[in-house]
Amino acid sequence: MEINSKNIKLWSTIGPRASLGLGILDLAKKQKELIVVTCDVSTSAGLDRLRKTLPDQYIDLGIAEQNMIGVSAGLASENFNVITTTFAPFQTMRCCEQIKVNLGYMEERVTMIGLASGLILGNLGFTHCCIEDIGVLRSIPNLNIISPADSLETIKSIEASLHSKKSTYIRVTGGPNNPIIYESDYKFEIGKSITLKKGNDVTLFGSGAILENCMIAAKALEEKKISTGVVNMHTIKPIDKDAILNAAEKSKLIVTVEEHNIIGGLGSAVSEVLSNIRNSPKQLTIGINDSYTKSGSYKYLKNYYRLTSEKILEDVQILLNE
Amino acid sequence: MSNIEKYRNTFVESLSINLKDLKEDLKYNDIPEWDSIGHMTLISNLEDAFEINIETDDIVDFSSYKKGLEILKKYKVSI
Amino acid sequence: MSFEKKNIEKIKLFSKNMRKKILQMAFDAGASSAHFGGALSIVEILATLFSYKMNIKKKKDIGWDSRDRFILSKGHACLAYYSSLNLKGFISDEDLKTFEKDNSSLAGHPVKNKKLGIDFSNGSLGMGLSIGIGLAISSKKRKKLFNTYVVIGDGECNEGSVWEAAMAAPKFELDNLNVIIDRNNFQQTGSNKEIMDLGNLSEKWKSFGWNVTEIDGHSLNDLKNYFDTKKDNTKPNALIANTIKGKGFSFSENNNAWHHSVITKSIYELGIEELKNGN
Repeated sequence: MEINSKNIKLWSTIGPRASLGLGILDLAKKQKELIVVTCDVSTSAGLDRLRKTLPDQYIDLGIAEQNMIGVSAGLASENFNVITTTFAPFQTMRCCEQIKVNLGYMEERVTMIGLASGLILGNLGFTHCCIEDIGVLRSIPNLNIISPADSLETIKSIEASLHSKKSTYIRVTGGPNNPIIYESDYKFEIGKSITLKKGNDVTLFGSGAILENCMIAAKALEEKKISTGVVNMHTIKPIDKDAILNAAEKSKLIVTVEEHNIIGGLGSAVSEVLSNIRNSPKQLTIGINDSYTKSGSYKYLKNYYRLTSEKILEDVQILLNE
Repeated sequence: MSNIEKYRNTFVESLSINLKDLKEDLKYNDIPEWDSIGHMTLISNLEDAFEINIETDDIVDFSSYKKGLEILKKYKVSI
Repeated sequence: MSFEKKNIEKIKLFSKNMRKKILQMAFDAGASSAHFGGALSIVEILATLFSYKMNIKKKKDIGWDSRDRFILSKGHACLAYYSSLNLKGFISDEDLKTFEKDNSSLAGHPVKNKKLGIDFSNGSLGMGLSIGIGLAISSKKRKKLFNTYVVIGDGECNEGSVWEAAMAAPKFELDNLNVIIDRNNFQQTGSNKEIMDLGNLSEKWKSFGWNVTEIDGHSLNDLKNYFDTKKDNTKPNALIANTIKGKGFSFSENNNAWHHSVITKSIYELGIEELKNGN
């Protein structure tokens, strides 16, 4: 699949889930050892084409996530390259202990993709939102955890994870007409954050589809003469410590933004690094405030949890004025 | 290129089919290439080709080659 | 002696030696105590698999690609597993002495260690059969004809994940997948009947689409015949082995106190005596 502006626009239009379906199909055609294991979610992950055209490389285990991880570990132990996918809460929490034992402890290598993480399925209620996945998995050793910014980064992170020695969890956020963060191809490396915008006074660390709101807020801050940098911290584990230390040296305020509980996710990971520095700058952690609320659209929930660009701007300014 | 040529070429490109195989009675799901992914690819490429933004309801209603011609009229694309 | 009889004698000797090793390891573990009862109930099963049925070693080639795979899903019965691996030359006598000691490779549940012939880490109940399915599917895909054997406990069948796997295996017609259920009727704090009655296990597995056989899990003849018999090759195989928890020693048979306990010197000496007398 060529990475060009036409395809980037297409992948943005069809959204990250359909894009990853195309990306995995492309990889599966080239790698016969690649097997995809799902729990009755082929169409939800854009994998219907793979299911029909490469049935030998597609295994559907029905709605049984614990079995999915165990079977995948068995396949991985025999040197197959395995990708599992289902909706984020079920991918990470229903089978959490299997992830711990098979992937963390035994280190069988599997790439797990959590669909529709964050708030995008808000209309369906919080059983289908996922604001806990990063926090839950961070405490399992030997896992990479990635939250890609847009459809292109979703595809690139899957490719990168297949080359990693560790298992990887990729949390997919956003939907159709996903904002484009990368207009052209770029180098993606697990664990290496990417500076999207330079700036010194304030540094915004974000991950996932919410990064677009960080960019908008940062530009608004610049107009108010506040030099603001934006860093895409796509890999929350292993976290890019150097990027945080660099930001701490020059910025008087560090801000983290995520479609995740402020407990356990990107914000917590960043504060763990900052807490080791003498005279660390203050940190503003923006995310879900450890609560569930009434169901609503993606837009409604982002507004409720102060994740819109306007509310990010407001909250940063309040802190700067203090 | 005329609008009808543009329309037909977009189908050919988006669904990876030959021009000679593109029949006017083609409908969504008639061929494996026109599945949900093929559909979104087609819509995205039509938007690019005609510089329009197709609304969600119209994306859902766009169930065939013929229907598509009707829908494009809404966006002032005369074919 | 007929060829048949020779094989049975071989397995019988292996079983006896396993019990010796199990007693020794449990005693050496001292105050750490050991899962004694549940290891003893599977001695004959493992003896038949390791000394007779499974192809696991091509001379010194550990990790040989086409070896039969084994998963002790009821991982707490590791004393039986370690003793089998020791008798097959994977684990040394020296290593056995490190059981449950600090920094040891032989923990109270199996920890993956390819050098010692331990392919997977087990102990959290309900997970082994899923891995077995992955292995069996791999074998068919690679056209490498190895068999996979998974030993699960009856109490372990409380776990929903066992039934997810039980439902899935027949879908793939995994005739190369063999589950052995150690039906010793006890679990940690009481009998299965008291804690969570399993009902008719045989019917349950049959209704999920498995070939099911039920035998005396301590009868070497029954075990050997079972593994020698061809079965319907469109289904995976479940063997319900009726066993006695703590089998082999007078003090432990059917005594659930021996699920996890300390072997004192006097118990150890009694055990040695009973083994000598061919109990």
